[in-house]
Amino acid sequence: MKIPVSAKWWAAIALVILMALAPLRISGYSLRFITFIFMWIGLAASLNLLTGYTGYLDFGHVAFFGIGAYITGILMLKLGIPFFPAMFIGAIVSGITAVVVGIPTMRLKGAYFAIGMLVFAEGLKHVALELDGITGGGNGLSLPIYTNYVFFYYIMFSTVLLAIGITYWFERSKFGLALMAIREAELAAEVSGVNTFYCKLIAFGISAFIAGIVGGIYAYWMSFFYPGDVFNVLTTVHMIIMAFLGGAGTILGPIIGATFLAAIEEFLWAEFKYTYLITVGFIVVVVVLYIPRGIVGLIREKVFARS
Amino acid sequence: MILIGLLKVERVTKNFGDLTALDAVDVTLDKGVILGMIGPNGSGKTTLFNVISGIYTPASGQVHYRGQTITRKRPHSICRMGIARTFQVVLPFSQMTVLENVMIGALYGSGLSLREAKEKGIEVLEFVGLKDKIHTVPDNITTHDRRRLELARALSTDPEIILLDETMAGLTPTEIEEVLDLLREVNKRGITIFMVEHIMKAVMTLCEKIIVLNYGQKIAEGAPQEVAENEEVIKAYLGDRYV
Repeated sequence: MKIPVSAKWWAAIALVILMALAPLRISGYSLRFITFIFMWIGLAASLNLLTGYTGYLDFGHVAFFGIGAYITGILMLKLGIPFFPAMFIGAIVSGITAVVVGIPTMRLKGAYFAIGMLVFAEGLKHVALELDGITGGGNGLSLPIYTNYVFFYYIMFSTVLLAIGITYWFERSKFGLALMAIREAELAAEVSGVNTFYCKLIAFGISAFIAGIVGGIYAYWMSFFYPGDVFNVLTTVHMIIMAFLGGAGTILGPIIGATFLAAIEEFLWAEFKYTYLITVGFIVVVVVLYIPRGIVGLIREKVFARS
Repeated sequence: MILIGLLKVERVTKNFGDLTALDAVDVTLDKGVILGMIGPNGSGKTTLFNVISGIYTPASGQVHYRGQTITRKRPHSICRMGIARTFQVVLPFSQMTVLENVMIGALYGSGLSLREAKEKGIEVLEFVGLKDKIHTVPDNITTHDRRRLELARALSTDPEIILLDETMAGLTPTEIEEVLDLLREVNKRGITIFMVEHIMKAVMTLCEKIIVLNYGQKIAEGAPQEVAENEEVIKAYLGDRYV
């Protein structure tokens, strides 16, 4: 079975239009909930750009979300910069930080990179706690409250489109092929002429830039945040689970994984307040054991099996 | 122009802790030749390839290519300059198609665009005899085909020199004949070959010159027949009793 390319495009366009028109019909909790799912898609897609394509599993990816949130918050509060430029600067700082941190950490392989990044993110949390003159320390930062939920819906939606657009570019471009080659066999890529170190750093920077945007929006949306919140290691774990549940290294993977997990968690959290984490853990085990290539990989294998 | 000494390895030494993997090794590779390298396991053959291709930096000594010193260059630059290589244990890009595997070399090794790289990839795959498998993933092809894919990926970078690390290991006699023909054809296209090979028949028939490594030292160099009769070489392979 094979779906024609044009049908995929029409389905994508229809979905985008539907989502763009959604705020006309829905509001309140539902709109907030979809915005929330968009946030997770953005974060999972950001992680997917790095981990799904280069194979570098970043256990400290929340650091770039946190940097985006803090830079946006600090610029708005202390310098009175409007939201959009502040968010943009926050995302740029996130991207640059990833490149700088990547210079040492991207020389590490596998688990060592993951541990290095985990430590980096935890370290940043403590920096944010200590620099209380700028960050408010453990008391967090409170931004001016802005309750236009339609605004946040659209800006999160735009970020998702941007993240998915970049993923599409990764799938189709010369640069993306180099990243996949790095994921499959880094040494072979290097001796085939790929400047692997440079490519990895650029991918890391792009990935962190997206996480930074999401962080900036989150800061303004929530209007209050603190180090333990925006540098929470569980956020990273969620991004990883979502990307892998959906299918790492695919365009649809983060969308499906984030939507599925966020929806399930919302339901479980409402119904089983105290046992929902156990259930989520169970889902993770099932994914790792039975569908290592994620939902997208499973569907490809079973339904569109290559002839 | 006299095209002698395309690649020169000068007194290259490489240590791993207390082990001297390469001990002041000299190699001169002339343009257009097929040079063979033999030696017992652990004698430093792959290490020498790793030094030439930039994966290792030697403790001392230099590697010169076309009059330039490439000792400290990174592997991708060395590849782009014209030295390609294959690996003893093949390293295919497993989740990419055979064509995409080869396109990487064409895109980055010889700097082509996506469209050009696709054409080049198909051409190279046709040359090595993998044209009907271009949309297959490497996991679904035979060992023999995977070795040919490894060769195709190296060729797609448009090399002047190709370093082949045991391209024939694990192949049947018929397959070895096929690879020999293929390598002769590669050489005819003007590509200089430097190969490590354990299959003596292949080395003896294909190479004009052979060098022998033992414990990181070059113990012999010369025409295949000379080398085969060399006492040092027989000692290295079989022990003193057989001299």
